[in-house]
Amino acid sequence: MEALSIYVPKLVTPKEYIASGHRACSGCGEVLAVRYVCKALSRNTIISNATGCMEIISSQLPQTAWEVPWIHTLFENAAAVASGIESGLKARKRKYGYDKEIKVVAMGGDGGTADIGLQALSGAMERGHDFIYVCYDNEAYMNTGIQRSSETPFGASTTTAPSGKVSIGQHTWKKNMAAIAAAHDIPYVATSCSSYPFDIMYKIEKAMKIKGPSYIHILAVCPTGWRCPSNATIRVGRLAVESGVFPIYEIENGKYTLNLDYPKLRPVADYLKSQGRFRHLTEENVAVIQEKVLEEYNRIKTLSHMRKKSK
Amino acid sequence: MTERTLMGGNIAIAEGAILAGCGAYFGYPITPQNDLLEHMSQRMPALGRIFLQSESELAGINMVYGAAATGIRCMTSTSSPGFSLQQEGISYMAGAEVPCVVANIMRAGPGLGNIGGAQGDYKQCTRGGGHGDYYLITLVPASVQEMMDLTMLAFELADKYRNPTLIMADGFLGQSVESIVMREPVKKLPDKNWAITGAKGREKRLINSFEMNPLDHPKRIALLLEKYERMRIDEVRYEGMRLDDAEIVVVAYGSVARAAMTAIKMAQQHNWKVGLLRPITVFPFPYQPLSDLAEKGCKFIVAEMSSGQMLEDVRLAVGSQNEIKLVNTYGGVPLTADQIFEAIDLMI
Repeated sequence: MEALSIYVPKLVTPKEYIASGHRACSGCGEVLAVRYVCKALSRNTIISNATGCMEIISSQLPQTAWEVPWIHTLFENAAAVASGIESGLKARKRKYGYDKEIKVVAMGGDGGTADIGLQALSGAMERGHDFIYVCYDNEAYMNTGIQRSSETPFGASTTTAPSGKVSIGQHTWKKNMAAIAAAHDIPYVATSCSSYPFDIMYKIEKAMKIKGPSYIHILAVCPTGWRCPSNATIRVGRLAVESGVFPIYEIENGKYTLNLDYPKLRPVADYLKSQGRFRHLTEENVAVIQEKVLEEYNRIKTLSHMRKKSK
Repeated sequence: MTERTLMGGNIAIAEGAILAGCGAYFGYPITPQNDLLEHMSQRMPALGRIFLQSESELAGINMVYGAAATGIRCMTSTSSPGFSLQQEGISYMAGAEVPCVVANIMRAGPGLGNIGGAQGDYKQCTRGGGHGDYYLITLVPASVQEMMDLTMLAFELADKYRNPTLIMADGFLGQSVESIVMREPVKKLPDKNWAITGAKGREKRLINSFEMNPLDHPKRIALLLEKYERMRIDEVRYEGMRLDDAEIVVVAYGSVARAAMTAIKMAQQHNWKVGLLRPITVFPFPYQPLSDLAEKGCKFIVAEMSSGQMLEDVRLAVGSQNEIKLVNTYGGVPLTADQIFEAIDLMI
């Protein structure tokens, strides 16, 4: 993809598949990402949605925000239910001559993907079901009140990894789900961010054309849990990408492509300072994070085969 | 110490566990027990004890299995859907006779249900819950004070019987804030001559719930059953209120028992003879006191926030001669004193 087109508006369907009136917090980056994903999916899909923010805000009876076929699953089972749906459709095709091509999509938050749902996700990717798994990563259990997850970044303060005299908050590094997915040798793995609508839609459209499992990991800014103003959602997401904290890349059949490469990354301090969850960090802490971020960014950059524009 | 403190129900469970010498806490976020988990995440490391957030309830209960097997006191807490996930681990611990405390702060089911308080896990808690022939002492607090006291008791009973012990409270109680009296910390913890601590210098010890020999396994179960029988004899706990001359007896536990107390006071203003029997353990269930009241000719009102799960136990105790009515709510809706009073009014 051309790096510039990430900012350039192009024709996008005006249709909305997640209706307004849902109950997300103001400035929710996650529901924004869901909106872009659904625009790219259109209606020829079945969504299997793990318990979490997106399920709670969109499906409180007697209302629903979903304009597409949608099934709620347990916290740990989105990928297993998606496997079942895909198999069920296959059986319909074989036995009853059903002939529609429907893409099955599983969705979950970071807890439902990287923690409790990892086993089911790993099984579904290994078996090679034809489905897309989308992880909306807001870096903690926001639905239950900002408890840490294995996707919570080092140094962030959460309600179960609180910063204080004894601890700096989360003291482990963010689990690398894209690498875990890629280790299953699936055809398509990608990362994206809620501040980059065209990137999300491009990647979903690409995943839809692929036969077999795809895994898309979207960093979704959460003003409530990250302690930032709700009008800063887009800016904070951009800072995450521009500082190298959350690189946006694809892994196609094992080949890395860094979609957005900056000649000079912003200092991570710009990103960390934008959020209250990092406000207790000392300069030494920030230096440690800066080093780790650069190391990971350079690793992906080295792996990446950047496609040079030939103009 | 008679110092009074204002405390939330879930926090009282956490503090009760700390007083009882709980050395490790393992938990996973689920509403409405998150404040218990969050409180432990601050308190336990500050005390030099272990707090671990697991990656699922399944992992949480099995962390408890592992930690308890080393002989320390430990616990987990969850709410209904998470409690369902833990059944396999609890069954293994009952089979392997490893003590622990599990707090289930119930919400409405089935499935995801909602996050309103409920009492729909009654059968799951009182009938073992997982696979196989086992039972767990199930304590049902009705106040924040009892959340603390019964948690401390739960650790004692767990060690006494080498069996997992349950605290079964509803979400409303977990979120209640009341004034309580702080208790003294437990000074001496029991010796565990079965714990796995590394066999160097002593005989090896084995913790398992597995016996392939069809001649040996029944013997093992028989020993467990004998243990549960002792619980049925020694551990029945309940509280009576105005039972001496009662013509109508309300049976209620947990937060519903509090509403029932108000309803009984309302009935008293009409000079109606209404009493309350409040189980404090629902396994073992107070069958005998209820049978005695039935013989006196009492009528019964069962008040609970479920489809009528405790009703079945009351029927077992009372038999078919006496009138029994159910007044209930379900789906995360609290049962009010007015509703219970209305049921009394209809029966009078």
